[in-house]
Amino acid sequence: MKRLEDYNPTTIFLYFLAVTVVPTVFVDPALAALSLSGAAAYYILRGQGRLRDFYVYGGLLLAMALINPLFRHNGVTVLFVMGNNPITLEATIYGFVASSMILSVILWFSTFSRIMTSEKLLYLFGRVSPKLALILSMALRYIPLFSTQAKRVGDAQKVLGLYKEDNIIDDIRGGARVFGVMVSWALENGIITADSMAARGYGIGRRSSFAIYKFTRADAALLLMILTLFGAAAGVSVLLGVSFTFYPAIKPPPSLPAAAVYSAYALLSFLPAALEVWECVKWKYLLSKI
Amino acid sequence: MIVIKSAAARKVIKVLVPALLIPGVIAAGAYLFRGRHYYAVTLAVAMLSLMLFAAGFERKKTGTRRLIIVSVMVALSVAGRFIPFFKPITALTVITGVYLGGEAGFLCGSMAAVISNFYFGQGPWTPFQMFSWGLIGLFAGLLGGMLKKSRALIVMYGAVSGVLYSFVMDIWTVLWYDKGFDPALYFAALGTALPHTLLYTASNAVFLWLCARPFGEKLERVKIKYGV
Amino acid sequence: MGVCEVEILAVENLSFAYPGQAKKAIDGVSFSVEEGEFAVICGATGSGKSTLLRLLKRELRPLGEIGGEVRFFGKPLDGLDEVTSACKIGYVMQRPEQQIVTDRVWHELAFGLENMGLDIGAIRRRVSEMSSFFGIEEWFDQPTSSLSGGQKQLLNLASVMVMQPELLLLDEPTAQLDPIAASEFIAALVKINRELGVTVVIVEHRLEEVLPAADRVFVMEDGRLLLSGRPREVASEIAGRSELLLGMPAAIRLYNAISHLPIKKSECPITVREGRQFIMKNFKSGASLPLEAEPKDGAPALEMREVYFRYSRDLPDVLRGLSFTVYEGEVFCLLGGNGSGKSTALAAAAGLISPYSGEVRIFGKRIRDYKNRSLYRECVALLPQDVQTMFLFSTVRRELEEVGARLDELPYDISHLLDKHPYDLSGGEAQLVGLAKVLAARPRLLLLDEPTKGLDAHAKKVILKLLSKLSQSGMTIVVVTHDVEFAAECAGRCAMFFRGEVTSCAPPRRFFSENSFYTTAINRITRGHFSGAVTLSDAVELCKKSFVPASSDEGGSRA
Ligand SMILES: Nc1ncnc2c1ncn2[C@@H]1O[C@H](COP(=O)(O)OP(=O)(O)OP(=O)(O)O)[C@@H](O)[C@H]1O
Ligand SMILES: Nc1ncnc2c1ncn2[C@@H]1O[C@H](COP(=O)(O)OP(=O)(O)OP(=O)(O)O)[C@@H](O)[C@H]1O
Ligand SMILES: [Mg+2]
Ligand SMILES: [Mg+2]
Repeated sequence: MKRLEDYNPTTIFLYFLAVTVVPTVFVDPALAALSLSGAAAYYILRGQGRLRDFYVYGGLLLAMALINPLFRHNGVTVLFVMGNNPITLEATIYGFVASSMILSVILWFSTFSRIMTSEKLLYLFGRVSPKLALILSMALRYIPLFSTQAKRVGDAQKVLGLYKEDNIIDDIRGGARVFGVMVSWALENGIITADSMAARGYGIGRRSSFAIYKFTRADAALLLMILTLFGAAAGVSVLLGVSFTFYPAIKPPPSLPAAAVYSAYALLSFLPAALEVWECVKWKYLLSKI
Repeated sequence: MIVIKSAAARKVIKVLVPALLIPGVIAAGAYLFRGRHYYAVTLAVAMLSLMLFAAGFERKKTGTRRLIIVSVMVALSVAGRFIPFFKPITALTVITGVYLGGEAGFLCGSMAAVISNFYFGQGPWTPFQMFSWGLIGLFAGLLGGMLKKSRALIVMYGAVSGVLYSFVMDIWTVLWYDKGFDPALYFAALGTALPHTLLYTASNAVFLWLCARPFGEKLERVKIKYGV
Repeated sequence: MGVCEVEILAVENLSFAYPGQAKKAIDGVSFSVEEGEFAVICGATGSGKSTLLRLLKRELRPLGEIGGEVRFFGKPLDGLDEVTSACKIGYVMQRPEQQIVTDRVWHELAFGLENMGLDIGAIRRRVSEMSSFFGIEEWFDQPTSSLSGGQKQLLNLASVMVMQPELLLLDEPTAQLDPIAASEFIAALVKINRELGVTVVIVEHRLEEVLPAADRVFVMEDGRLLLSGRPREVASEIAGRSELLLGMPAAIRLYNAISHLPIKKSECPITVREGRQFIMKNFKSGASLPLEAEPKDGAPALEMREVYFRYSRDLPDVLRGLSFTVYEGEVFCLLGGNGSGKSTALAAAAGLISPYSGEVRIFGKRIRDYKNRSLYRECVALLPQDVQTMFLFSTVRRELEEVGARLDELPYDISHLLDKHPYDLSGGEAQLVGLAKVLAARPRLLLLDEPTKGLDAHAKKVILKLLSKLSQSGMTIVVVTHDVEFAAECAGRCAMFFRGEVTSCAPPRRFFSENSFYTTAINRITRGHFSGAVTLSDAVELCKKSFVPASSDEGGSRA
């Protein structure tokens, strides 16, 4: 067993697609809660979380949730009337569900961005379109290069005494000048890079790729599992019409198929967290043998 | 995918698909699903249009130099996004479109969206940003001859496209949040985003006013000197 | 060479003009190179060496008017198929960081092979073989941005070599390397040439090590091929031409400088070893020059005290307790390996970075007490290592006007460059324009980061004179350089930089006499025989002193 991040990029990508599509397409309190807790568990286990982030996320959740009842007045259970508008229980609940769903997706993708390094992303992109992959990889490489070069250009201007005074206007003017120089520099050096690539045979034929992410048996197994769980959750929802009704009155879906959907999605959502824990346990065990 | 031989047909399709076909599909989706699964329809459309574009683009023999110049522009737009109050993606996408053509503009806008989201948060909104910014670049390219001539026009184009961009992105926000489309929520979203939109539009306009010419000259020089 | 000589490269009446330029950058050049040869192209700054080299590689040909023909194994370059053209002719560029296209060392090595569409097994085999040949294994996994200049250049060579080229073109590959890295680089090149039979064509200004290895030398002047032949032939042909002689290896210069003495005429020595034999045969040993006294302490212009600095919290220290003092009116040279922190030290001196501990004083005043950027107004100016960072405008003229330089009284003649775009200049020309720009600021303390890289010997001499004039007029000058010859000529004191601190510091004679690798070729030639000779004029003086008239019977009778 490996952690999710050690799998083939295709597997990883499909996992994140599956785990975020279900709660966004089928808005449902249970799915939203499962997605949020699965994402949070994974987020914390990977050691990404800081306490401050959770205050921010909590605030975001609350703010987004409360917008809905202020603007939507469907629903039969009126809690109170504000101005001329009724604030309903249904709209409030929908607000919470929708914003938990959105928050969970934000969390999922924040982990996704960390796991999907540029190399993996390029591998994926490269299969769809080698040219897009080239643009993407070069741009990713240039960004840090530009910031160091911009600093150097700024320094060169500074020591030439081109900034007269130490004030904001002068700084802004200097910044604009540096940005202008950077455009020239970046374009000219871009050409040199392109030439250097052409000089080493870029574009003469079919490229092979040294960076291989082998699609192993473990990948196949995990992918099968992901697809099965996703198929179960989405398929049952669509075919049996399992859907949570918010308006005009709250009506949960029939319990038997709903239980199937929820349990399938629960497995899907906690999959990476489980892999993470398993890996940790295994490592401890191996260490104890050394 | 689709092989289009004639350049004229390609051009027509490049205009038709984004301008008519996709809105049409969105409307049809809205009508057929009656507001349900609207999100899925839009996501599918956005993905499809990108794929279609990528396919058309992949077929053309584009020089490495040109691709690298586009990635330089992408990197510049993203690197500029870190400067406070200064989000040059729209402006640089417009400049790229005008001076290097619609295709380059589309690529610049859409790739800048993907990459800047590596720093600011990747999510389901990414394809929509790719799509919107890409279109800004594409149309800038189609209107290139006109925009190149007049400083006022290019500034206006930048300002208008900046505003449209936030209109479109807010549609998307509302759709995502609320499965149907509620105008009240939409206007509320527009309202909350207003100060930001204004600031953004203004900074775009100023940037284009100051930089469209000089940056354009630099691109022209590279085009002449290196035959990009 | 062998019986059947195969012409790998033939250039016939080649000419070239950049678009919009009336003057041809290359004008009617013809030559040929045989398979397995090691050819060197040299010539003055702006004489068209880089342009010529680029014309030999189809993918890198600049846009412009081309006349004449280039043939690779008898086939015109245009007629080659893509694979041959890309893979069989390898090119290493002038500036090491420009050639790198990927972000990891291993990927850079594999890049060319991926383009050839090789399968993974073959790529792995070739990459691992080549990286052990060049000793790259240790930094195989590192990001390319973290490499030092020397490592970058070695990587460039290796990533071209994995494609197994038959012809290797190199454009001043050692311009930014420290002397040790440079000679290792040349040694690697010679090994490739001798052991793998790869034909090498190299453009160089630093001929000390390249020329002895060369089978053939081409000298360019103003877009034309001036001379060509075997090193010894060229050495004897240029005997009368002082401006060409200047750039030649020390042994040749020494031989020519004392050729008026009635010594036994022997063949002109080329290498350090031949030079030593020549000296030993003809001169008696033991002569010495007095070591300079330590200069009297004047008023300090730049003081560093226990300066510590690192670029970010989790990186190691770059400056580790750096302390030294430069006195007013002095020329102070800092030497040291690639990545030892010299440029960082200059940045600290110019107040561009702030050390986390220690103190920097300029003219007795702490650097942070210079408020409102007054430091940069007529006090300190810095020529950065990368001169391109200084260019803002679309013509050289505007660059110079921006800093208030008087175009009619520039320190040297660059009038022919005034209307060019700064990015269209050759490497050496850009360097000259950059220097003119810094000088226009008229600083009291001038910091120069590798001012002579890419310059020909003549331009170096001009700068040398300029620096000594400036220092006599009271300017304090700190020079960071890899060019030991230059340091020996211009410095009042030299300092050795090692791992972020100054480990030794002395006037040039004393400084270079103590080093065995980090020293001038003249010193290596005369070491043990004479003592204290570091520059050509030192050696000439000692030779005159210890010339033995006894052996002049033979020489005299001949004369
Ligand atoms: N892109 C360009 N456009 C116009 N002129 C150019 C361009 N590149 C070089 N030149 C000019 O052509 C001449 C030859 O330049 P080249 O770079 O070949 O010189 P070089 O011999 O390599 O010099 P160095 O030793 O300084 O590198 C110079 O006068 C230079 O100014
Ligand atoms: N901006 C930076 N950020 C992080 N590390 C840096 C930065 N600049 C330089 N370094 C590191 O600091 C060390 C010293 O660099 P520096 O440029 O001062 O060396 P140098 O002595 O000038 O070398 P060279 O002779 O090659 O120019 C090197 O290891 C380099 O990798
Ligand atoms: Mg050159
Ligand atoms: Mg340096």
